[in-house]
Amino acid sequence: MTSRTDSAPATVSLRRILPPAVTGQEVVLVGVIAVLWVLLGIFTPSFLSPASVGPLLVNVAPVALIGIGMTFVIITGGIDVSVAGMAMVCAVVTARLLVSVEIPLIVALLVSVVIGGILGSVNGFLVAYARVHPIIITFGTWNLFLYIGYRTFNSSTVNGIPSTFDVFGKGAAGTTLGVPNAFAIVVALVAAAWWFLRYTRAGRNLFAIGGNAEAARLTGIAVRPRLVWVYVITGVMVGVAACVMLASGTSSLDQSVGNGKELEVIAAVVIGGTSIMGGRGSVVGTLLGALLVQTVSVGVIQLGWPSQLSRLFVGVFIIIAVGADILRERARRRSGRMS
Amino acid sequence: MSTSLPEQRPSGAWPRIRAWIDGGGLLDRRAVIVVLLAVLIVVMVVLDVAGVTTAPLTTDYFAASLINIVPLALLAIAELFVITTGDGSIDLSVGSMVSLVGMVFGILYGTQKWDFAAAAVVALLVGALLGWINGFLTAYFRYPALITTLATYYAYASIALVITNASPISGPRIQELYGAAQSVELPLIGAYVPLVPLGVFTFLLPVAVIAWLVLNRTTYGRQLYAIGTNSTAASWAGINTRRSQLLAFVISGVISALVAIYTVAQFASARPDAGTSGPGMALPAITIAVLGGVAITGGVGRIGGVLLAALLIVWMNASILIVVPGNAGSQLQFLALAVVLLGASLVDVTNSRSRRARARQSTSAGGAGGVAEMADSAASRAE
Repeated sequence: MTSRTDSAPATVSLRRILPPAVTGQEVVLVGVIAVLWVLLGIFTPSFLSPASVGPLLVNVAPVALIGIGMTFVIITGGIDVSVAGMAMVCAVVTARLLVSVEIPLIVALLVSVVIGGILGSVNGFLVAYARVHPIIITFGTWNLFLYIGYRTFNSSTVNGIPSTFDVFGKGAAGTTLGVPNAFAIVVALVAAAWWFLRYTRAGRNLFAIGGNAEAARLTGIAVRPRLVWVYVITGVMVGVAACVMLASGTSSLDQSVGNGKELEVIAAVVIGGTSIMGGRGSVVGTLLGALLVQTVSVGVIQLGWPSQLSRLFVGVFIIIAVGADILRERARRRSGRMS
Repeated sequence: MSTSLPEQRPSGAWPRIRAWIDGGGLLDRRAVIVVLLAVLIVVMVVLDVAGVTTAPLTTDYFAASLINIVPLALLAIAELFVITTGDGSIDLSVGSMVSLVGMVFGILYGTQKWDFAAAAVVALLVGALLGWINGFLTAYFRYPALITTLATYYAYASIALVITNASPISGPRIQELYGAAQSVELPLIGAYVPLVPLGVFTFLLPVAVIAWLVLNRTTYGRQLYAIGTNSTAASWAGINTRRSQLLAFVISGVISALVAIYTVAQFASARPDAGTSGPGMALPAITIAVLGGVAITGGVGRIGGVLLAALLIVWMNASILIVVPGNAGSQLQFLALAVVLLGASLVDVTNSRSRRARARQSTSAGGAGGVAEMADSAASRAE
């Protein structure tokens, strides 16, 4: 690196700090998804039809949205297993308000996002200031959120949810130029998060915290406030995701909402090349990981295979994706030592 | 966690108790749980006398609720083995292993009419194989355990559902197994103590005793704690850290297989989603292990603490249900678990902080505190 002579020192230093804009993992994922889409297009009659791709993109949205927050959290070396509980609380409170007082779209979205942010701040403060491992903190708050969620459900389903959220991806109201609005929102937020992680000091600090929290603190990074914010952002993203889940569901909401989302999201994040040990990761990879998982589950159904088989493929993809990442990392370290 | 400082042991009962209390013994996880259990029982007796409970509170009620402790405590012991090896080890796949092995056992015993013993042995072998896959990927390919077991959680759960097209296996032979989970009267002292579910004696106690012996009386057990505390130091001391970690995952698979057989008996059918429906079995098992004092970073954890934690959770849930029956009660169980888990973690933090502060004081008072401080910083790292 030192041998490089560039006329603009500012660019050199930035280029030296920044990781490559596109990682190897992302290129591979794009390739795998493209191959899968082509194969599924050949072997199934309707995979590439708009009637199939549209819902697929809408269904990617909740996992990808929560995945943005989860990527931030995992980059700092943490984890958040409470997202399913948060999603349930956001969805059920918003649904109840929609049914009882018919709040307009923007208010409903705000309610969901603010609730998500508040629940996320509970996680954030406990993780940052209690110095207990995040997985334990969020196990605890997961149970807490489930309690709040089930209480709000009050042992029944929420029925007659109005079509306020249709603009997020249901029917004709939910698409712009053929692209589901939910997916457009995902792409916009992923782009913003990518820019934030790469070009702002606060974003790059997250990598420093995940690489070595103590060293980050000694260089003057306010580790604890940053951690709180990371969990708050996750909650906010869950709030947005809950609205998409309400939009893509039926007019009634049952108590299984959000069930198992935490593992789905973590799977998408790690397939996308984010290191579970912290310090390395990308939101673009997370979006691609979510796309891959959704492609597999739609593809398995359209091929007429048992739908449960898709989870087997997800497991295999996790092993392959992370295995490739481990091998690349090893090779990178070896070449780094030689030079 | 070790609370006794490396000082000379005082002799005599009372000084020893004093030293234990001064060393923060009352904040020891097992002591905390015993106190919570006592509080729970006192509160319940008071509520019963006051007539708040919806049914008469009997020892039989508490004893019968122990049917739920068997799978929880067994899987928590499995997590104890895995988590203790450190380096972020954890097993998210235990619930899926319960589902898959349960289906294998159901097919062999219920559909293929094998001997019980033969079917059980094959089931345990399958469990060992599933655990071996987890361990091999983690220990030899250096996958983070969270990733390995997340992947196998999906894979095993999927296979369990696919092999019978998602339909459960039942039948007369499997229904007869229900006897294994029923409450029984103990021989000799049976008339004087409440009826305890048979599974506690046939499954839980043998595993707990063997696990305790393995952890505390064998070289392998001590190696587990060593690699969990500092795997580099352990490998320099001649321990084959990879093999030890692999074996911990295999043990977790075998214990999951035992739970699978028990679950088939308890529900009188082999269900393909036995360990993964709802919140699944893995997260509650990890919660109980952590509550019982297993440090998520490895190297610390005891069977006694895990059993006490399982007992606390099971009795707490049973108590809640007898005061607040129905859905409201089962909702309240989530809140109670959250409060206990978060509370216990926070108590730990204040505990280790005050210990660190004490160590700092004694260092400044004289040089003798150095060892204690080292032990303390090791303890705080373990949290």
